[in-house]
Amino acid sequence: MNSLSLLKNPILQRELISRLRSPKALIAIALVAIVSCTLVLMRWPREATIDLVSQGSIQVFRPVAYAIAIAIMMLTPAFPATAIVSERRKGTLVLMLNSPTPPWVIYIGKLLANVLLSVLLFSVSLPAIFACYAMGGISIAGNIVPLVLIFLGMAFQYSALGLWVSSRSQSIDASLRWTYGILLGMVVLSIGPTVLVGKLSGLQAWIAQALTTLSPIPALQQITGAQGQAQSIGIATGWIEFLFMCAVSTIGFALATLYKLHPTMMDRSRNAGQVIEATQSSWLRRLSYLVDPNRRKSGIPFWLNPVMVKEFRTRKFGRLHWLLRLIAAGAIVSILLTVVAATGTVNWGVDRIASSMVIMQIGFLLLLGPSLGANLIASEVESGGWQLMRASPISPWRILSGKLLSTFLTLLLLLMATLPGYVMMSYIQPAIGGQVSNVIISLLIATAMVTILSACVSAYSKTSAAATAASYAVLLVLFAGTLLIWLGRGNPFGPLFVERALLLNPAATALAEMKAPGFETFQLIPNGWYVGLSICAAGLVILVLRIARLTRPD
Amino acid sequence: MSDTVVETTNLTKNYGDFTALSDLSIHVNRGQILGFIGPNGAGKTTTIKILVGLSKPTSGSATIAGVDCSQNASRIKRLVGYMPDKFGSYDNMRVHEYLDFFGAIFGIPASQRKARIQEVMETTSTTYMQDRYVESLSHGMQQRVGIARTLLHDPEVLILDEPANGLDPKARIEMRQLLLQLAARGKTLIVTSHILPELARICNVVAIVTAGKLRAFGTVDEVMSSLCPQRNYEIQLASASHINQAEKVLGQLLLDSEPLTSSPAELTLRFPTVRTEPELAELLNQLVAAKLPVTQFRELTSDLEDAFLSVAGKD
Repeated sequence: MNSLSLLKNPILQRELISRLRSPKALIAIALVAIVSCTLVLMRWPREATIDLVSQGSIQVFRPVAYAIAIAIMMLTPAFPATAIVSERRKGTLVLMLNSPTPPWVIYIGKLLANVLLSVLLFSVSLPAIFACYAMGGISIAGNIVPLVLIFLGMAFQYSALGLWVSSRSQSIDASLRWTYGILLGMVVLSIGPTVLVGKLSGLQAWIAQALTTLSPIPALQQITGAQGQAQSIGIATGWIEFLFMCAVSTIGFALATLYKLHPTMMDRSRNAGQVIEATQSSWLRRLSYLVDPNRRKSGIPFWLNPVMVKEFRTRKFGRLHWLLRLIAAGAIVSILLTVVAATGTVNWGVDRIASSMVIMQIGFLLLLGPSLGANLIASEVESGGWQLMRASPISPWRILSGKLLSTFLTLLLLLMATLPGYVMMSYIQPAIGGQVSNVIISLLIATAMVTILSACVSAYSKTSAAATAASYAVLLVLFAGTLLIWLGRGNPFGPLFVERALLLNPAATALAEMKAPGFETFQLIPNGWYVGLSICAAGLVILVLRIARLTRPD
Repeated sequence: MSDTVVETTNLTKNYGDFTALSDLSIHVNRGQILGFIGPNGAGKTTTIKILVGLSKPTSGSATIAGVDCSQNASRIKRLVGYMPDKFGSYDNMRVHEYLDFFGAIFGIPASQRKARIQEVMETTSTTYMQDRYVESLSHGMQQRVGIARTLLHDPEVLILDEPANGLDPKARIEMRQLLLQLAARGKTLIVTSHILPELARICNVVAIVTAGKLRAFGTVDEVMSSLCPQRNYEIQLASASHINQAEKVLGQLLLDSEPLTSSPAELTLRFPTVRTEPELAELLNQLVAAKLPVTQFRELTSDLEDAFLSVAGKD
């Protein structure tokens, strides 16, 4: 198939035209153009002096590159993550799979449509990038071409990821949740081991370095002149390795998707459910489930909020038996980390152990929180349950408190996972008791923030899929976006700007309190708490007003 | 004391310049079933939303058991059981848990809830599906669970939006029997449906609304006689060769208000009329006298669908 016949692919044409017709795509493209141009204007040198080392152009080039990369991360996976699952739910996928069009043509059409849309997205920012080139100090071969290749690699990788997840998911919001969850892991968590472990040798270091190739951050640092910064935290990979990983992962995702793209994927019966009586449950089942989802449940007691109980029982994602397994795993990891440090197996200080535990907790919060919170109201409205609750005598406040508590308590359980590690750490080094308390307070604020912000997004969204995508986007901007600014500390961002940005991020407050590598110079407590609590209070007010609006008679 | 349970008086609802409902006045007595008929966008759902306290009227009033629907929405919610056209399913929730949740949000004490759930499941014949996930149920099963849900708090009035929609014939018959059974127990029902013959079989009273206005209200017979005063007659001939001759003869005998339509393929001629029985007998005599081979001369029965179409066609 030559390039011309590729463009004649009916799936590609339909997907591309329908997406280009969407006002959302137009708004996204316009936003990227506006943001990149604004960044250039903001950083453009005002003094009429000759910059011999061309630092000025790099200072303009770097934020533009990061801004476009963030836009690609946020926008590219949204469409492919819904592409297959939504067609399956609408019944159009089975029509396509039963047509003479082979599955790989369908796949290529969907993949290329999304990649072309992403190319369009970052193409509008090319004038801003070439403005940096015009300033001198930036070369086409050394900076601009690698940057465009990185963007292209990201477009392929994230599109293929979204399609793969979409082919395996049963619902649109689950697909979005998993796609953004995996993306978060690839972009941010993949560099965690190297940052925390530091310069080790042997297999551990090799695995840690290989993981960093999943993230575009080291590649971007390399071509924006911040490689020294990356090397200082132990990252030795660059843009070539990133592109290699993009190619490998795109092929891997594509093969896995094509394997699933078959008419038999629709051949599933509805699960009618099976009840396990308490007396019938074997000890092995009890041990593996802890809270058996199939066990007959008793009625909702009067002292519990029925909406909260309903949320716990009906959530699609993060049901209690899985959460308890996750918490158990988290508790074991945190204790192990503390034990290996205490016994001198590795030469880690308390700061590194605590930082790794904070990162683990924030990872849990960001993976689970947005999807739990985003489904609170939007999915209720979508399923018709909200109308039934409105027609019942239950008060709006009880509905809201039940829903918020269901998410907050779940996330609180996740925080508990690392408590044994903290307890052991305080026992080993009693002097850090105060720091540990401050970290726990910061994490509690982070939990409240994740719950309230995602519930806010949910209350203003029409579908749970849109709410899930928007929640992940908002929280990623808040938690990962501020960390990207932190990565650019010193150059181009000044310390005051970085500190102000980090005040928005309770995870950064916790990391700064534990003097994690790179956070030693920041003093974010108590201002970070005040900012976090203010965000929570403002979100809560918006939420209460919105719920009052949604429950009152039309 | 009047036995009226549901009453609306000059009920009007405007959304900006758009009038969704205009001067609707109806009443339903205890134990009656009201069939609420209208095309999409006629104002049925607006009326229902006002009755269940989810919407406020622009003017006029609506009461249930003497309680004003807009002034006392919290009491109304206990008096009414509402089943919207969308089921309102939850994932990973079994039928028993589903009913338990709605029992809890309606404030039924935990000690009484279990017995109440058993009772409504027996009434709606859903006991056998209590351990199944609600999302795995067929549409007909879900509709029955929906009715069980509306019965949980023992409301005086049940408002069911399209309960027979999408049901197979067997499930439709079961639904009809269930609604009649509930009316026999003294429940007052308001039922909307697009399946008009279905409503005609179970409703005591019918209200037809189009474009927000009440076009007809009363018993099925009253509505039929007010909306379909003309009867339709069909003449069947022995052969198609006589159709033209029959058309000529009837053209001289029928009035302008009795337009004749012929169907040579079916060997039939049809016309609407308000003639009395003797006048129709005379007409038949004249056809026979003209040596037309009439094999059948019969009245086509009108039903609620014809009454509705006669109203809907005017808009």
